[in-house]
Amino acid sequence: MTEFANVGRRIPKVDAREKVTGRASYINDLKLPGMLYGKILYSKYPHARIKHIDISKAESLPGVRAVLTGYNIPEIRVGFMKDNTPLKKGKVRNWKDEVAAVAAIDPDIAEAALDLIEVEYEELPGVFDPVEAMQDGAPLIHEFDPKGRPATSNILKLPWNLQCGDMETGKAAAAYTVSDQYRVTWVAHCCMGLSGCIAQFDLNNNLTMYSITQIPFLAQNDFNSALAAMGLKGKNTRIINTVIGGGFGSKLDTHIYEYIAILLSFKTRKPVKIMFTRAEEFQYQPPRQPAIIDVTQGCDKNGKLTFREVAMLLDNGAYTSWGATTPSVMMVPISSLYRVPNISYTAKSVYTNNIYSQAMRGYGNPQATFALECNLDQLAEQAGIDPLDFRMRNVNQPGEITPQNFKITTCGLKECLEKVADGLDWTHSQGRGQGRGVGIASLIHVGGGARVYKSDGHGMIMKLDDFGKISVITGAVEIGQGSETVLAQVTAEVLGLRTEDVNVIKGDTDICPWDVGTHASRQTFVSCNAAINTAAKIKQQILELASRHLGAAPNELDIKNRMIFVTSDPDNPERQMELDKLLRKVHYSRQGRMIMAEYFYDPPNEMLDREFKGNLSCCYAYGATGVEVEVDKETGQVKILQYYAAHDVGRALNPMLLEGQIYGAAVMGTGYALSEQLIVKNGRVMNDNFLDYKMLTAMDYIPVKPIIVEPVDSVGPFGAKGVGEPGCVPSAPAIANAIYDAVGVRIKDLPITNEKILTALKAKADKGEKSLSESG
Amino acid sequence: MKKEIFFTLNGKLVNAEVDVSRTLLDVLREQFELTGTKEGCGVGECGACTVLINGLSINSCLMPILEVESADVVTVEGLADEQGRLDPVQEAFIQHGAVQCGFCTPGMVMSAKALLMENPHPTEDQIRAGIAGNLCRCTGYIQIVEAIKAVTEPTRD
Amino acid sequence: MVIYLNLTRQRMPLTDSPWLLVTFTGHSLKTTSTKQRVTGNAKKGYRTMKRYDYFKPTSVEEALDLLAGAGDRAVLIAGGTDVLVKRKLGQIDPAALISLKNIPDMSYVKENGMLTIGAMTTHRQLETSSLVQSRYPILHDAVKNIGSVQIRNTATIGGNIVNAAPSADTASPLLALEAVARVRGAQGSRDIPLTEFFVGPGQTIMQPNEILTEFFLTKYTPPCGGAYYKLSRRAAMDLPLLGVAVQLYLEPDKQTIKKARLAYGVAGPTPRRAFAAEALLEGRTVTPEVLDGVAQAVCQGTSCRNSLRASAWYREEMITVFTKRMIKLAMERATA
Repeated sequence: MTEFANVGRRIPKVDAREKVTGRASYINDLKLPGMLYGKILYSKYPHARIKHIDISKAESLPGVRAVLTGYNIPEIRVGFMKDNTPLKKGKVRNWKDEVAAVAAIDPDIAEAALDLIEVEYEELPGVFDPVEAMQDGAPLIHEFDPKGRPATSNILKLPWNLQCGDMETGKAAAAYTVSDQYRVTWVAHCCMGLSGCIAQFDLNNNLTMYSITQIPFLAQNDFNSALAAMGLKGKNTRIINTVIGGGFGSKLDTHIYEYIAILLSFKTRKPVKIMFTRAEEFQYQPPRQPAIIDVTQGCDKNGKLTFREVAMLLDNGAYTSWGATTPSVMMVPISSLYRVPNISYTAKSVYTNNIYSQAMRGYGNPQATFALECNLDQLAEQAGIDPLDFRMRNVNQPGEITPQNFKITTCGLKECLEKVADGLDWTHSQGRGQGRGVGIASLIHVGGGARVYKSDGHGMIMKLDDFGKISVITGAVEIGQGSETVLAQVTAEVLGLRTEDVNVIKGDTDICPWDVGTHASRQTFVSCNAAINTAAKIKQQILELASRHLGAAPNELDIKNRMIFVTSDPDNPERQMELDKLLRKVHYSRQGRMIMAEYFYDPPNEMLDREFKGNLSCCYAYGATGVEVEVDKETGQVKILQYYAAHDVGRALNPMLLEGQIYGAAVMGTGYALSEQLIVKNGRVMNDNFLDYKMLTAMDYIPVKPIIVEPVDSVGPFGAKGVGEPGCVPSAPAIANAIYDAVGVRIKDLPITNEKILTALKAKADKGEKSLSESG
Repeated sequence: MKKEIFFTLNGKLVNAEVDVSRTLLDVLREQFELTGTKEGCGVGECGACTVLINGLSINSCLMPILEVESADVVTVEGLADEQGRLDPVQEAFIQHGAVQCGFCTPGMVMSAKALLMENPHPTEDQIRAGIAGNLCRCTGYIQIVEAIKAVTEPTRD
Repeated sequence: MVIYLNLTRQRMPLTDSPWLLVTFTGHSLKTTSTKQRVTGNAKKGYRTMKRYDYFKPTSVEEALDLLAGAGDRAVLIAGGTDVLVKRKLGQIDPAALISLKNIPDMSYVKENGMLTIGAMTTHRQLETSSLVQSRYPILHDAVKNIGSVQIRNTATIGGNIVNAAPSADTASPLLALEAVARVRGAQGSRDIPLTEFFVGPGQTIMQPNEILTEFFLTKYTPPCGGAYYKLSRRAAMDLPLLGVAVQLYLEPDKQTIKKARLAYGVAGPTPRRAFAAEALLEGRTVTPEVLDGVAQAVCQGTSCRNSLRASAWYREEMITVFTKRMIKLAMERATA
């Protein structure tokens, strides 16, 4: 194996020093001269007509610079289906609805002004359950579609339908079948950094947004459309990213508060900052969407899966974000986790008066995998096959083409399962009952980008300075995951430099080339591939220039540790040249030149076709999680005794950062399984604080042991695949399966609380007594 | 109502005219422009605003500013020495991957510092109890615990 | 009662918070109302910054004088955390805060026959007190799991008790330790047994012009042992869904229970003792039958309610489970 100088090493994050000293500047920390503070007035009903808004008192409060409502702003349609507007007119459809906004010289005055806005409502009946929302006569959330045509139903015109193979054949071939329903609920991203932005117009009416978006270039597009709607057609938006206090998918949409800041800034001609409070974050930042998932799977006598049927019902909430496309990623495990020849999958999203949802780490995959992997254990039990063995009989293989036409290149699933089973000592641990049990679940996720947008590309520019330092100008957004660091490592590796020679320039759409965004676990994959290609062009230029000085052809030269040398004569000091010397020589000679290069890397993956088939990603990440739990039968309390997280990552570019992703995802996934839930009553989030939203603390010890499996993938940068999201995908089903193994009850709705377990245990005991008395 | 107060901030005697209804967090961030101390919830539930007062860790968002009169306040900006050499806790956080998005980091570092000042050789359980008031969404806490453990061990050179 | 209804029906009961240190007076908190507020949740966020005045008396007398002069919009604060949270959430709108932090000699743990605890003693001081650790493990169990280190460094035992939340973590251990609260008013001091102290959620028997100064706890008389269990959804930064406190005093045979004190949090509108159950333990040794009877008696004496945090039936089930477990643990500690 080649020994790398930079790649594969546990190099600390390049931004860690700024962060541990408190010098990193988040949106919270940023102030501009003359800046005003914006505050938003939200709806006081989940569904109501707006009869009248009186802003006169608010406007006359000293210090207030602007008060906006849906009635004094231009019509701007926003959101994935263009069904939302920055400030509401006519009707409010959920508690989150923004009714008015204020800009004032300080936040207290803005807050006080909100109290002075008088809104008269006429309450309308609300619908908070997607099943009820589909029924005839249910209140229509949107009476008209975005084009103004009358709507007839709350069902979104986003039908997801994947049919593979032949279901009749699959069902006929099944010796065992299990049907069941699973439910997952709203959970919040809980980024520790609060949301906010600053909007500022220049004298030419071009907009600068100081932003925490994960998708700067799509945001630029969105905001430019908004500018056009404001009568500023042809004006441009510059997005400047501050340091971002966590993403997890929460910044994949452009959000209403950002449009409000833009409108306030345009109105006042001043920079306007809007910062959320934590309560606003919980109440008004869209969470992960809830779903009701019906799964039927069947297998033959030998435990080979013959078919899989999934029907998903999603509560879309009142508006549509990019999160409404998560059913497309739910397809990934549904079609391609294990070998299933015949598949039927439909998903429906329904408008309700609940808060609308958005993307969150895994993009639908955690929801779907929870249902699939729980159902798989049930099927294995019915077939009388050990759950691990059952999975092995259906395990994915390298080289296969899945029913959805995914081309599986490398696949480390088998190894992941084996290693997790070894860790748990599966054969001895499984089936003991008595309050201790083990459970396992697998995952597949996109590992080589995902073409959910017409381009999945990443642009990059590199330039060398006079001192051998290289600037890597990238569209990648660092949200804490460490893309900046691995980019530096990869660039240094290709160019024979040290990681500290690389300066990653990011977060400014005026400077950085286009990238579709930090999502789909794609950033390391695409940006590092772009870096390899750009750096190769740089290296070619260096070697061509050096060949004149070293008397050897470019292909006979290489660079190592900042030194250019002849590969056949590496130790000869006469035939070496320090890179920075060469650069200065080239720069200051007659007709001097600079060394720079650009590359646009667009991975070889496909958009799904009309049948939702196609090779969505150019490689796929696999993994398996195995847990051992102890369940207190008297209280329903669950303790995680062991947690193995095996991941097929292609290659670990930086094992320390990779483990960080796995640890964080595993603990987030465990929270999803056991403790986290936004409690929503009549559309209202009832637990809008960290005391009542049970994110796990350091004392909730989850002993995660990462296992790295490295089937180097030829399309990946140095063989790497994406791994940002996968870790949180199999946690919940693995834990649910372990609980079943421990105490024989299966909880099918998340989170698996102590109460639910105890209720199930009591029901089971009652049933046992009954059957005893009947038989006796 | 405004009042002038004096206290020690990161080793230096400072004074400020403060609105008495502000918290220490407000004054640190707005008047002293020490934005390393973060506001993550404002109600003592996340720990991002942790600072040391007279050697004890507290949530600065819940500390009325007048209560720091004559006190010794240390923020994350006060950990490195004059030459910019970082505190061993900060170095360990860097070296062990304990930092991702970094928003919880200053508060986490301050809690770790308070813990180690009181107990230089904590067990893993004591470390976890020591940082239980600092929420982190990125790391799952594991590399943070490793970093703090590393500070307690003698350096290997 | 207004607060209780408000909490249970309309919004998350933030006053359940263990670190909500309210007024050291008998005032019930006045909830402000605005036209826009419907459920109260987050309507205004956390930044509402109504100004107030801030006083730092250096004696109890001075604090009483300030209180008498300030009218009913003055609020006393101990650690200060509760008042600031409530103010940030717009739940209270004080015109003045009167801080007890600068009054000397209100923060101590002393043993002179009885255990005496100053009302301004922080949870962290109690947690690290070797006296509490070795002789009053029931109290140590409670204080070490309140909030976080940061909160425990700030929040005080007096605040926790005067807050009178059903979930106050120190209340049931103090009840089991037969605590007496000493309060000072303009007319002098009076002593109130904790069993008479709580009159409703968030309400105590104290008068608005009184200040709580210290607690007297029952004498350490071995062989004895105690234990407290906080049932919660996560291991830290949480409120109890139920608090179970058991303190046992044994005969010299170290088997027969001479005296038993059982107290519960979140099992009714106030923290409360389980007198009937105590009687079933006294003079007995711990057997499964005795435990069953005790647990049953406790359940009969409690009135758990449904909330977003847990359902009543689950709380009742857990009373049974943890009463037995804590009796066993208290026995272990008594005989260790």
